[in-house]
Amino acid sequence: MIKNNFKIAWRNILKNKGVFLLNILGLATGITSCLLLTLFITDELSYDKFNEQSDRIARVVFRGKVGGEVMKEAVVMAPVAQTLKEEFPEVADATRIRRVGTPKISYGNTVYRNSRFAYVDPNFFEIFTLPVVRGNSVNPLGEPNSIVLTRDEARKYFGDTDPIGKELLVGENHEPFRVTAIIDKVPENSHFHFDMFASMLGYLPAKGTSWTKSDFFTYLLLNKGTDIRSVENKLPSVVESHMGPQLKDEIGMSFADFTKDNQIGLFLQPLTEIHLNSDFASASELEQGGDIKYIYIFGAVGIFMLCIACINFMNLSTATAAKRAKEVGIRKVLGSEKIQLVYQFLTESFIATCIATVIGILVVILILPLFNDLSGKAIDLSFLLQYRVWLLLFLMIAGISLAAGAYPAFVLSSFAPVSALKNKFFTGKGTKTLRNGLVVFQFVISAGLIFATLVVGRQMSYIQNKNIGYEREQILVLRDAYLLGNNQTAFKNEILKDPRVKNITTSSYLPAGPSNNSMSGIFLNGNYQRRMFYYDVDEHYLPVMGMELVAGRNFSKDFGRDSLKIIINETATEVLGFKDDPIGKTLVRDTDNGGEELTVIGVVKDFHFKSLHQQIDPLILRNNPYGGLILRTTVADMSGLIESIRGTWNKFDSGEPFTYTVLDDSYRETYHAEQKMGDILRIFALLTIFIACLGLFGLVTFTTEQRLKEIGIRKVLGSNVPQIVTLLSKDFLKLILLSFTIAFPLGYYFMDRWLRDFAYRTEMAWWVFVLAALITMLIAMITIGFKSIKAALENPVKSLKTE
Amino acid sequence: MLLQLNNIFKWVNAGGQRTFLLKDINLTVKEGEFISIMGPSGSGKTTLLNVIGMLDGFNEGEYHFMDESVHQLKEKHRANLYKEYIGFVFQAYHLIDELTVYENIETPLLYKKFKSAERKALVADMLDRFNIVGKKDLFPEQLSGGQQQLVGIARALISKPKLILADEPTGNLNSKQGEEIMELFKQLNEEGVTILQVTHSEKNAAYGSRIIELLDGRKVSL
Repeated sequence: MIKNNFKIAWRNILKNKGVFLLNILGLATGITSCLLLTLFITDELSYDKFNEQSDRIARVVFRGKVGGEVMKEAVVMAPVAQTLKEEFPEVADATRIRRVGTPKISYGNTVYRNSRFAYVDPNFFEIFTLPVVRGNSVNPLGEPNSIVLTRDEARKYFGDTDPIGKELLVGENHEPFRVTAIIDKVPENSHFHFDMFASMLGYLPAKGTSWTKSDFFTYLLLNKGTDIRSVENKLPSVVESHMGPQLKDEIGMSFADFTKDNQIGLFLQPLTEIHLNSDFASASELEQGGDIKYIYIFGAVGIFMLCIACINFMNLSTATAAKRAKEVGIRKVLGSEKIQLVYQFLTESFIATCIATVIGILVVILILPLFNDLSGKAIDLSFLLQYRVWLLLFLMIAGISLAAGAYPAFVLSSFAPVSALKNKFFTGKGTKTLRNGLVVFQFVISAGLIFATLVVGRQMSYIQNKNIGYEREQILVLRDAYLLGNNQTAFKNEILKDPRVKNITTSSYLPAGPSNNSMSGIFLNGNYQRRMFYYDVDEHYLPVMGMELVAGRNFSKDFGRDSLKIIINETATEVLGFKDDPIGKTLVRDTDNGGEELTVIGVVKDFHFKSLHQQIDPLILRNNPYGGLILRTTVADMSGLIESIRGTWNKFDSGEPFTYTVLDDSYRETYHAEQKMGDILRIFALLTIFIACLGLFGLVTFTTEQRLKEIGIRKVLGSNVPQIVTLLSKDFLKLILLSFTIAFPLGYYFMDRWLRDFAYRTEMAWWVFVLAALITMLIAMITIGFKSIKAALENPVKSLKTE
Repeated sequence: MLLQLNNIFKWVNAGGQRTFLLKDINLTVKEGEFISIMGPSGSGKTTLLNVIGMLDGFNEGEYHFMDESVHQLKEKHRANLYKEYIGFVFQAYHLIDELTVYENIETPLLYKKFKSAERKALVADMLDRFNIVGKKDLFPEQLSGGQQQLVGIARALISKPKLILADEPTGNLNSKQGEEIMELFKQLNEEGVTILQVTHSEKNAAYGSRIIELLDGRKVSL
């Protein structure tokens, strides 16, 4: 019987190749997409879980609101780790990371500035699972100035020779570090990636006792079974007892007074939530994380696609029901039980699903590199070796063949034999409602996704085109130019001779991309206000960046050194209460030696020096030139200029490599994550619509087939082609219109939440809804039109003869 | 006695009016009979055949088939009954297009869960008997109408029914093919199979031992 079922199924498939191909195409697309999205989501969810103790590790973070400034820091103060370990029995151990960027590192003549370097506490490798593959695996960082490298990094400096015991010179002062161990690498799905881990034992700031300076990523290893929240609840008292006295010394306010208007505190963040649930600014976080919202979005899209593909299957199967009805009738007369027919139809959907799944897997294997490129992941084919993937595939096949085959199986098999033989079966009102419901569902999702894609696209172009307060095009950044030391001025003068270079400013502060980042506490009339961002620039900064001065004057050589003069942005005038007459006002900046008084000489128009996710913060620019060079050029294509500057750089023979960034690229890089997600969303939205249209096509086929006789009669009575096309498409268009009324409110709700993540955003104008509706309508019309025009053109004699 | 219909009524309600399809039908069929049902279009011949074949229900009356009271049986039991004892032959043959001649004949045995070896033997016998061994791997569309009907009859006979219900078995055939089929029925009847056929043709009706004439759902006594 089973063999027979397979045989019949196969012959039916061959006989209805068209419908079968539509089915397979839709299903395979759905399965491919679903698999890819599953891989993506699984990868995102796997972050930091490679750590054997991942469920017991929590990071201590700092949050607060001081003087209107929202403070979110993934780093905390140096003594926090030791203090918590000593005061709480629940804390089994604590370890810290102090990131140092990419300092100069040399070994003999080999010099690099691209090794990601961090100081970590000696117990670091006991808490994080990064097994030592070579060297001292017991306590590699137990001595001051010991260092652990990744395998690739060791090869970079030492080639094939044994790295253990070798010495690397770190930083401009050439501090020696001895290699004690090699680890394989930090897994891709870790929230930090360093190439070098140096022992914190000899690192002085690690012994700091200040509770007001945050620099250390701090991780606690909790005892088994400890509730993170119960530890977190005890943190406020720790903050008060340790931070309180120091705060009083610094700003002259008791902790109780301070916390009347301000909130500060330490909180715990489970390790496994760092990647997806972190809201720390990228400057504060170790690495740009993912976003749980996208996990939900992609998860939903994946499930939707499968649903839509299943619905297609059902609709396309009912479309061929007319052809199968006779067979059902005969089989029943010949003695078939209903259940045997159900099995037969399920066998067919099972075969189709299996074929689609195989195609899906093959396509996934083929396009995985492309998908990795798109999503920025490094998923490899080894996922096929996981039993969980096969379990998922098995469940998917079972689920889809059941879901997709059930409707035709149960509806077709319940036809009464006599009416089936006469081709006079009706699918009752219930099934029609169900089918309509399914179409509406498909188009709710399609229209919703089209709408979402449009909104994301608009926000992206808003970001690209928004007036951000400076001119980011044609700016070349040489952040490492300070490495030339005393030769920097000569270098600067040399490249200024190039007519393509319009102007140069000296500063290490940039509104996009890698930049120095400083904040200072500000006092007004002896009262502590809040911290403010702080830029050290020179008199060329505003003209080079194309920033606009709205009041006062720029720094100028004509006024002497101008070193205690500042320019503030518009937001700062508001925050400081200088709005009406800012020029000449003074404020005091907190410094280690009691503070310095600064006088406002100008106001710069607000510019976005953080991503558009954030409101513009108050900013102080001070005339204090040092650091790298920023060039305003006259050319759009800078490659030629860069080559000639590289030549000039090499003439100075500093032994340092020439590096540069293009500001516009850095700006775009800021929104890379959104761009990436937007791209993925667009592709899957298109695929979803494609599948939905396959389904619509099938359904139009179904109704057209059922109404073939009606069409024939109407034509004989004198109806023309447009009238018949209207007749056939009217009902579908009604359904699609109905789906808009569900899709758009839903779309509005979700996209509004997405947009709220941007402090600066486009609004969802009425025409976006109209455009989404038109696109959906157009796609649907093309799909419907194709089939119904064909039916309308048919010779009526043919359709009438079938009776 | 093979079956007995007592005062069978069947009607449909359309537009607030009751239209009778069968009206007070009384009929007794003995084993070994060959009955022809005649009558003009719409007189209820096919409906009567479907009622007897238990493919269709009725609204009033009693129907005894062998020792069972069909009117009291549940749907499922009724289905089991006709699967066991009745073979159907249709005007449009109703072969399954996707199956070969061999498989078409084999299908009822599959549903009756015969063993593979048994099926082979029975189908081979049937092919032999109808002289269509050479066509066993052909699909219906590759056969002439007469050959298709031959397969249809072979399929109806494969499960050794007591009763064959034939609804205008020669309606789609030319006269020569029709004659062959009727000869076959006659031969089957002589071998002991009870046959009930619906026909328009006087000539075909004459093959039967008894003719029942219907008009507007009523039996017209001859």
